[in-house]
Amino acid sequence: MATYSLPPKPKRSLFKKTKRIMIFLAIVAVYVWTFLGIDVDWARAAERAVNNFHRVIPKLFHPDWEATGEVAGKMFETITIAFAGSFMAAILAIPLGFLAAQNMSRSRLLTASGKWILSAIRAFPDIILAILFVVAVGPNAFAGVLAIAIGSTGMLGKLYSEVVESIDMRVVEAMEANGANKVQMLFYGVMPQIIPEFLSYAIYRFEIDIRASSILGIVGAGGIGTMIIFAANNRNWNEMGLILLAIIIVVTVIDSISARIRRKIV
Amino acid sequence: MTNQTNSTSSQMTPPLYPAKTKAQVTLIFFIVIGFYLFSMIWTQRQMVGGFADALGNMGVVINKFFPPNLSVIPAVWDPMAQTIQMAIIATTVAAILTVPLALLSAQNIATFKPIYIMTRTFLNILRTIPDLVLAVVFVGLFGIGLFPGIIALIIFSLGILAKLISETIESVDMNPLEAMRASGGNVFQVIYYGLVPQVLPQFASFVLYVFEINIRASVVLGLVGAGGIGLVLDQQLGFYNYPNVMAIIILIFIVVLIIEYISNKLREALI
Amino acid sequence: MIEFKDVSLVYPNGTEGLKNINVTINDGEFVVIVGLSGAGKSTFIRSVNRLVTPTSGFLLIDDEDILKYRGSDLRKLRTKIGMIFQSYNLVNRSNVLKNVIAGRLGHTGTLRSILNLYKKEDIGLAYESLQRVNIDDKIHSRADELSGGQQQRVSIARVLTQKPNYILADEPVASLDPPTSHQVMTYLKKINKEDNITTIVNLHFIDMAMEYADRIIGMRAGEVVFDGPVSEVSEKTFEEIYGRTIREDDLRGGAQES
Repeated sequence: MATYSLPPKPKRSLFKKTKRIMIFLAIVAVYVWTFLGIDVDWARAAERAVNNFHRVIPKLFHPDWEATGEVAGKMFETITIAFAGSFMAAILAIPLGFLAAQNMSRSRLLTASGKWILSAIRAFPDIILAILFVVAVGPNAFAGVLAIAIGSTGMLGKLYSEVVESIDMRVVEAMEANGANKVQMLFYGVMPQIIPEFLSYAIYRFEIDIRASSILGIVGAGGIGTMIIFAANNRNWNEMGLILLAIIIVVTVIDSISARIRRKIV
Repeated sequence: MTNQTNSTSSQMTPPLYPAKTKAQVTLIFFIVIGFYLFSMIWTQRQMVGGFADALGNMGVVINKFFPPNLSVIPAVWDPMAQTIQMAIIATTVAAILTVPLALLSAQNIATFKPIYIMTRTFLNILRTIPDLVLAVVFVGLFGIGLFPGIIALIIFSLGILAKLISETIESVDMNPLEAMRASGGNVFQVIYYGLVPQVLPQFASFVLYVFEINIRASVVLGLVGAGGIGLVLDQQLGFYNYPNVMAIIILIFIVVLIIEYISNKLREALI
Repeated sequence: MIEFKDVSLVYPNGTEGLKNINVTINDGEFVVIVGLSGAGKSTFIRSVNRLVTPTSGFLLIDDEDILKYRGSDLRKLRTKIGMIFQSYNLVNRSNVLKNVIAGRLGHTGTLRSILNLYKKEDIGLAYESLQRVNIDDKIHSRADELSGGQQQRVSIARVLTQKPNYILADEPVASLDPPTSHQVMTYLKKINKEDNITTIVNLHFIDMAMEYADRIIGMRAGEVVFDGPVSEVSEKTFEEIYGRTIREDDLRGGAQES
């Protein structure tokens, strides 16, 4: 049983070896930087957690039912913010989506600029946009609508442009051969192919916007977030429990309805 | 004969779409538009001057933000670095905690149904709660600082990551796993040899994706006291120091873009 | 020795996979099971290593009833039985050596296998097995870079690394072209003779069954309808097993090419 021959060692090029080592070193460097730089007072956090635990967690599970009316009202406002915002975004994203789609224009500059605008918008977190709009139109729900509208346009525009890029151009070509003009080609050749996907993505973005608009109130842009920040400042964790419950229920219900609608459309 | 019936019916010019569909689509269209108009009115009811006034105001306000005071950037460098570090730690911890959760919520691995249903439900509830709301609660629990922010990010990204990865696990080729079982491997060996090599590239890619999400989320956590650059942003907003606010926003914008670019390149290399 | 005693298997949806099977397979035999798809060949073979569990009867391997086995008993049983699959069942993204060493999983502790700390003997054994099926030059290639025939040879090497007493092969050549099919069957036959490993192969190609088998078992609708040495088999036997006349696609052809 002692006689066995070992297989040859794998041959790797010097380039691959150094590449592996470099990646490894880069990862180590990132983690060293992180753990040396981060400044967390573990002892104090732990102490606070022990002290506060019974003051916070049990109360979250005993919602303050008396606030039901107010919470329902603010939750409704949140839904209207999300709806108006995603509706506006669904429309605004159409021209941007076409602009960023490679097969819709021959000018590479135009396509590139469309893609750049979209990714620039996406780099702004919704709540930062909300800060800007609160300053611009005042601390109310409409600032939230504008923030959601602009924020969603970035993602929807990108998704739309991908849909447009994936359409079957032969249909459009056939119409061009029939002598159709550009507008006719758009309405009869392109639109039927993209409308279901566009709708489906818009509805999907509405799901995300419900979550997004529920926190905008933290910077004064209306909706249930307003109550979240009040409840936290007043340490009213019973009310916070009810707010959490409301968010969980509304998000779950809207997610499941929207998933059902999307399945029907596509 | 059939030709004849066809030609007679075509003289009646049938509608392009059946009448019922047409009615349904029109109805839905009006409901959507109606609710949109209502939402617009509802959300503007507290505005003093109405929509037109606000738009006019916007020009004035934008002037307040410009020119941004870029000289504050060196001073906010540290909180910015801390924000990134928060996202790195949170993503790492979430990636580790995801492994058992994703396995237990994948239908083809967790064959014991109650466990599968329980983890699924838990993750579904977790995903409904927005990141900032989690941060508010954890700030209440742990006090102001980076720690509650990190915990909030971990919990938040865990929900997303575990779902993405359990879906990947559900789509793997089960044949090699069967072969491992047939040769007498135990559960851990079957998973490690049959499953892990199949999902590893997607796993790495999703972790990077969640890292991008965490970076975006971590820049705003400070707004509720959970540390990082958002804390400085909140202070400057409180002082109505808009040029400084704009400078910070521009910094955030650039950092997010750079990290996203790097992460995107890495992900392309992975798959 | 494998003994089926009144073995039946009813699937949860009510389908009868096996009906009162009584078969004894002696050590060192090369048995080919033939039958149409859905005849129960696969269920038969998978009962032996308990990838499916018969619902009644006794299944004895080396005089022990394996139907009672659970957990570690079952894993110990499976280490004695190697299995080859129609779709090779290799981990596509892992390299050949890693796929082959997986055959030792049952003999290796969990921690050892997860840390890749294989014994030198095991690695040597894996390499030797690859040499026996002439694919040792591909040792560091990824499994999905290989052709179907090469992948099936790797999966044979995986089984050899297991050092089994029995080999089960479930339609091992169904996804291969005629010349490679014969190559794979030749390796299986060679291993059967050289190592005296009892081998059970599912096939639906009549000519291949005739060429390689010592003994043929015919199945139809979950029942054994023929069992005898190759010398007793004629075209008429196959017509009885299949319940119809023999057609072109029941033959693999290409025997002379190997």
